Amino acid sequence: MESVLSLVSVSRRYRRGVLALRDVSLEVPAGQFVAVMGATGSGKSTLLHCAAGLDRPTGGRVRLAGHDLTGMRESARTRLRRDHAGFVFQAYNLLSELTVRQNVTLPVRLGGPRGRTVDEVLDQVGLAGFAKRPVGELSGGQRQRVAIARALITSPSVVFADEPTGALDPTTGGRVLALLRAAADRDGAAVLMVTHDPAAAAWSDRLVLLREGVIAYDGPAPRADEIADRLRGVSAVAA
Amino acid sequence: MNSGMIRQAVRRNPWAFLGPATTQALAAALVTVGLCAMASLDGAPLTVAQRARMVEDGSTDAGLLFLISSIYLSVLIVGVTMGTAIGDQARDLALFRTVGATPARTRRAIALQAGLVAVPATLAGVPLGLLGGAAWVHGLVGHGIVPAEVTFRVHGGVLPIAFAVTVGTSLLGALIAAIRPSRLRPAMALAEAAVARGRGRVRTPLGLLLVAGGSTLSVVLSGLDAETADNGGLLVMLSMCFGTGLLGPVLLRVAAPVARLIGPAGRVAADNVVARSRSLSGALVPLTLAVGFAAFTIVIGATTEHVTGVAMGGADKWLTYSGTGVYSAFAAVAGVNTLITVMRARGRDLAVMRLVGATQGHTLTVVICEALVVTATALVAGAAVAAATLLPLLHTALGTWVPWVPLPFLIGVVVGTAALVLAGLALPAAVMLRRPPIEVIR
Repeated sequence: MESVLSLVSVSRRYRRGVLALRDVSLEVPAGQFVAVMGATGSGKSTLLHCAAGLDRPTGGRVRLAGHDLTGMRESARTRLRRDHAGFVFQAYNLLSELTVRQNVTLPVRLGGPRGRTVDEVLDQVGLAGFAKRPVGELSGGQRQRVAIARALITSPSVVFADEPTGALDPTTGGRVLALLRAAADRDGAAVLMVTHDPAAAAWSDRLVLLREGVIAYDGPAPRADEIADRLRGVSAVAA
Repeated sequence: MNSGMIRQAVRRNPWAFLGPATTQALAAALVTVGLCAMASLDGAPLTVAQRARMVEDGSTDAGLLFLISSIYLSVLIVGVTMGTAIGDQARDLALFRTVGATPARTRRAIALQAGLVAVPATLAGVPLGLLGGAAWVHGLVGHGIVPAEVTFRVHGGVLPIAFAVTVGTSLLGALIAAIRPSRLRPAMALAEAAVARGRGRVRTPLGLLLVAGGSTLSVVLSGLDAETADNGGLLVMLSMCFGTGLLGPVLLRVAAPVARLIGPAGRVAADNVVARSRSLSGALVPLTLAVGFAAFTIVIGATTEHVTGVAMGGADKWLTYSGTGVYSAFAAVAGVNTLITVMRARGRDLAVMRLVGATQGHTLTVVICEALVVTATALVAGAAVAAATLLPLLHTALGTWVPWVPLPFLIGVVVGTAALVLAGLALPAAVMLRRPPIEVIR
């Protein structure tokens, strides 16, 4: 199957000479849910930012939905992100003074494709009837579901999630993960999720473990307890 | 603990204090000008005949009038800018309450903060006012409005009176803004900080009442004699200014949908203006005042010349226009400062917009649309204030309902207001947009 996200020997060196990613290659087909794990400073957030075109790699190539991001200018990358990528963050990153509907339709109103209707995505994330509520009045779990609805409204090729359950309790977090799972299974989106939580990673199809900017493991996601063991192994070596 | 809260407030958004500090410095300067003008006119070694002539043509009152207007403007504008600065801190105040600060303690911290801003601002403003005062007295003599014997004198009470005005208005504005955050229960306070504050249940009816009162008075005055209309004009202006000030958020919410006509960026801008109508109205009030003051003075002079065919004397013209120029500049500076404060607090929102797919140019277009809404609202509200004040005067004194608006003035006021609002919103936004959004969000 053609991959919707493709990283070919991507490196990212920061100004002070720190090499956050070295020679990372990753192919993600449509409909696959990938969890990226690793110790703090292993480069997992940098990987997500480079893959999503939020950061520019210092070496290698990134292709998103068939477009090469590497040589693109900022505004072209932004349009590509708007049309083909959805984002979910730990801190929700919603406009808290606007309503649920205004937040969810923001990508469309900024010129992105309207893949689906507001009611459809709000229904999917279990927030039917919340359209007119100000986001500031919602709980954390509800806000994260608004963020997922916003990510899904353009029917993106890839959903990028950065610690989406980091601020939520296990039950609420489970609901959010089930929605990401459904985005992959039902909508055929690729999902790239960075997390430090083995239980969250267990929802994925594929686990990528990073250690000091290098892929230490890339394979089918095992059960949560095995993930925790592997993670400990990687971190112990790193420390 | 108090100093800790103040440190947090200043570090988190140092720009928030620039607005109040600048307006207070200007207020101190205006008060100084007024006091020194009074001292210069009163203390001049004049003959009895000279003094009698000055009293007769009203130029002895010029200093006092200037002083009263300065204090009135300061109360409005310093209060508004300080209120915006405190409103910005709602979330920090909520945290402060959560970790154990009593409502009284929170109010004390806010009061201290307001006082601390006022002191350096006043010390900077008074010397500025001395320079301005000297220039004004010089101008009065130069235009032959007062005899050459009048020299610049420093009023003995400049420092204490300037401090009383700035500290007083600053405290008043800050404490009124702090009523809500300091009284809320901590748990509610944290939630409240994220949600839009209040619904204006007192503010809007009071504003409507004042505007209705001002309009009614305006109509009543139109049917009376010229002298009564002239005396009542100030009251009309006062109630219209305060009224539109209170109605600021409502006016912006009403005006916002117009931006939807501009296109997709305009629709996003309209939502933003509605959501932020309260903080934006902090800038709307001084801008409306600036437009209203300038329009009133210019139009009444121009219409009088147009109807009577008699040109205004150079001296009269200078006296009126210099005063109006100073007031309008003061209000304009306050408006721009508030806009910068509001914009600086939105760095994260701009980053979110870019993350979900707005380019730098697109985001800036949205901000420019917001600026246009604010500009249009300020122009319309300012024109309404000016019209309510000057129509009765025109009708009773000149027998006309039609104000004569010079075209260069009209263009100047529209372009000037738009330039100010763009400088306050689009400029800081353009600077903030240079940072990659993911760095802002982190």
